[in-house]
Amino acid sequence: MSRIGVFVCHCGENISATVNCEKVAKITGELKGVEFSTDYKYMCSYPGQTLIKEAIKEHKLDGVVVAACSPRMHEPTFRKACAEAGLNPFLCEMSNIREHCSWVHPKDDLTTEKAQDLVRVMVEKVKKNKALNSIKVPVTKTALVIGGGIAGIQAALDIANCGHKVIMVERQPSIGGHMSQLSETFPTLDCSQCILTPRMVEVAQHPNITLHTYSEVESVDGFIGNFKVKIRKRSKSIDEHLCTGCGLCTTKCPQKKIPNEFERGLGFRPAIYVPFPQAVPNKPVIDREHCTYYIKGKCKICEIVCPTKAIRFDQEDEVIDVAVGAIVMATGFDVLKTDYFPEYGYGKYADVIDGLAFERLASASGPTQGEIRRPSDGKIPKKIVFVACAGSRDPAKGIEYCSKICCMYTAKHAMLYKHKVHDGIPYVFYMDIRAGGKNYEEFVRRTIVEDETQYIRGRVSTIYEKNGKLIVKGADTLMGAQPVEIEADMVVLATAGVANHGAEELAQTVHISYDPYKFFAEAHPKLKPVETNTAGIFLAGACQAPKDIPESVAAASGAAVKVAALFSNDELTRDPLVAVVNRSAPPVYSQCVGCFLCQSVCPYQAIEREEIKNRNGEVIKTLARVNEGLCQGCGTCVALCRTKAIDIHGYSNQQVYTEIMALLND
Amino acid sequence: MSDLIKKVTALLNDKTINAFIGYEKGSADRIRATFIRNEDQAQKLILNASCTQNLAGYLLKHEVKKLGKLGILANVAALRSIMQLASEFQIKDGEVYVLFANADGSLTEFTDFKSIEAFLETTDTGIKSEEQEMIAKLEAMTVNERWLFWNKEFEKCIKCYACRAACPMCYCHRCTTDVNQPQWIPVASHELGNLDYHLMRAMHLAGRCVNCGECATACPMDIPLNLLTYQLISPIKATFGATAGMKADAVYALSTYKPDDKENFII
Repeated sequence: MSRIGVFVCHCGENISATVNCEKVAKITGELKGVEFSTDYKYMCSYPGQTLIKEAIKEHKLDGVVVAACSPRMHEPTFRKACAEAGLNPFLCEMSNIREHCSWVHPKDDLTTEKAQDLVRVMVEKVKKNKALNSIKVPVTKTALVIGGGIAGIQAALDIANCGHKVIMVERQPSIGGHMSQLSETFPTLDCSQCILTPRMVEVAQHPNITLHTYSEVESVDGFIGNFKVKIRKRSKSIDEHLCTGCGLCTTKCPQKKIPNEFERGLGFRPAIYVPFPQAVPNKPVIDREHCTYYIKGKCKICEIVCPTKAIRFDQEDEVIDVAVGAIVMATGFDVLKTDYFPEYGYGKYADVIDGLAFERLASASGPTQGEIRRPSDGKIPKKIVFVACAGSRDPAKGIEYCSKICCMYTAKHAMLYKHKVHDGIPYVFYMDIRAGGKNYEEFVRRTIVEDETQYIRGRVSTIYEKNGKLIVKGADTLMGAQPVEIEADMVVLATAGVANHGAEELAQTVHISYDPYKFFAEAHPKLKPVETNTAGIFLAGACQAPKDIPESVAAASGAAVKVAALFSNDELTRDPLVAVVNRSAPPVYSQCVGCFLCQSVCPYQAIEREEIKNRNGEVIKTLARVNEGLCQGCGTCVALCRTKAIDIHGYSNQQVYTEIMALLND
Repeated sequence: MSDLIKKVTALLNDKTINAFIGYEKGSADRIRATFIRNEDQAQKLILNASCTQNLAGYLLKHEVKKLGKLGILANVAALRSIMQLASEFQIKDGEVYVLFANADGSLTEFTDFKSIEAFLETTDTGIKSEEQEMIAKLEAMTVNERWLFWNKEFEKCIKCYACRAACPMCYCHRCTTDVNQPQWIPVASHELGNLDYHLMRAMHLAGRCVNCGECATACPMDIPLNLLTYQLISPIKATFGATAGMKADAVYALSTYKPDDKENFII
């Protein structure tokens, strides 16, 4: 016979305004197996919890039902209270008579009756509850940071400074990401490289950080605290231990006309190259696609000139295995190129460039040493048009979202232009100016007022070339959609920020979800912004959605704290509300027949294969087994299992059946 | 001596297989399955137009499995059953020796899944035209008419579970029907019990049924059970592009999600 306690909460007036709580307590107190019942104004308050604790001790309760709010709200509170009174916390259940009852029904006898039904159902469930123990999972205290842009750098440094090991993987030859390409940063106009490069050096020199550049994550297995990752270190064709980074090879390489990706195609680089002077590590790689030796089979000039004999033409990719406890995704974003826009010439006009290219033009280390010169003939543009929302907020282009950073960087571009070309006229076509952020609105205001930028509210319909000028046609919607035509020398498109190339494949590799735009999905848009749905994998920066530098850094530090919190214990403690495959005595061993449909349906890769062997080591039966570290208790496998071999602790078939029967047998 | 008997004898003698599942003459003019373990028994094997039963279901039966390495005389439905069972990890590649009986009586050997897959690709695996007509009739009914039709059919059910025993896909050691803690499916053969059982069976075969029709053949009460599961074949094909029993490494359409999956069934 059960000895269950029922505790009915008034929640101030949230419940008691429409439900007769005293009556609910009285009626449910008469149910079979209920030893004690009472009601109280605020059950979650200190006196309310004390009431539960004392009742557990006094009445020797072996089950508790708290009829109050949603278990999402206070289940942990009440389970903790029960545990403190010596009752297994999983013998405590909540009956939601607030969201499911008092809030959605008028004050009526029926409402009170429904509350009684809800409590009765839970009383029957608790009778079938089993005492469960938390699951303990060991933690490997090393973090993997994928991506070496500012978000990855920040996350890696924060984690490393907490005393944990970090492995950073970067696809490019150098860390630094998009921030290293920027000239100045809004709204303070401090030099991007000047604030970034010390951080890059810190990463390289940090004793807790291992850096793998020119590398990619090939596979991820395992689960929170215990990931097994394969990293492919692409061949750089140099011996990094011997190379001193003198750069002689890069000056002698006969291939000199390869469009420089870092300069957004505005400059050239050789086949053996360091992407930019402040690169970390500052050692070259050979781009095998363009290297004369790899194309024609002879050249090897770099090998001849290298003073330390560090060139290795026969070097192969290396795949290394690492064990990590947490993963931070910091793979960043990309921007659309100008060839995406038919109305702006499909990228065929050299003087229509994207925002990143303008950053390089404005950068002191860029192809023009910071002078604003147009790509076609090197002339200084006297009239320049900036087009905001090039692609963004445009359902016709399939990009319905706001890229968020463009309003600010376009204002910055106009300002930088004006600072460098005093007699020039900058125009900005915009839809709305979205300048939410500390000192952001003031910055835009300065661009408009002090730097005399012509802001035109309207979209650009077409751009075409005529007599060496770019004719920009648009409309000014604040002047009654009056047509505007500007003869510009140069046009900068603030092209939409999109998910980085390969984001979808990477998401599938590491098993995290992503949205229709291929940005990685957070677990909860408000309350879990840096977590993913996969435990132990966190998000930092613009791989999640377009973000500016402060937001990326904040998210990275947020992710780092989550990792540090995860690493603060030697073992992870998890709620035991996980699926379990039943086991029975031989010769059946389990109801499971090993069809493994559960394995393909599991969104968390929590189903493993277990082989049952006899004494001679021969496999008798292959069964599904749930990895408790990975299982999130969603129950999808339970629904799919034809033979009902899988059940969920805390929500077992028997419990659900009992609940339904309690309602039907009223 | 027929080609079949010669072939099976040879396979048994050179220990390629330990037992062979084929057809023999049963009582009266019936045909039944037989399990050949030696040369003498092999003489019983027959192959004629009446040999239509899908024998693949026997491959997983405990008593048959323990005979050792198995050979089987397969028709198209059996080949598809083998593919489906392989995709559910019940049969491994190379584990079963398959002899396929062609329409002209000649035999084709299949020793691996790849060759079966290739064969099925060019073979007609569809539902028979008379069955298709029945389905069309069912689909032309209103929901209410269909409900009445099936309830009337299920009234006849005596819960003998012959359909379950005949189905090559019903290989669970313990059927949901037999789970009694809790008893979701009532065992009694009353209206609700029958409806629950057949709905459960149809749902468990959604996307897995290889349209062999063994369930309807086995039914002593002549309930057209095959139509129930056949009706699920074309919606799954149309919605997810999947047909059961065509590929050994197929993933189950209802347990996987693809971003381009149609969601038009969500009301």
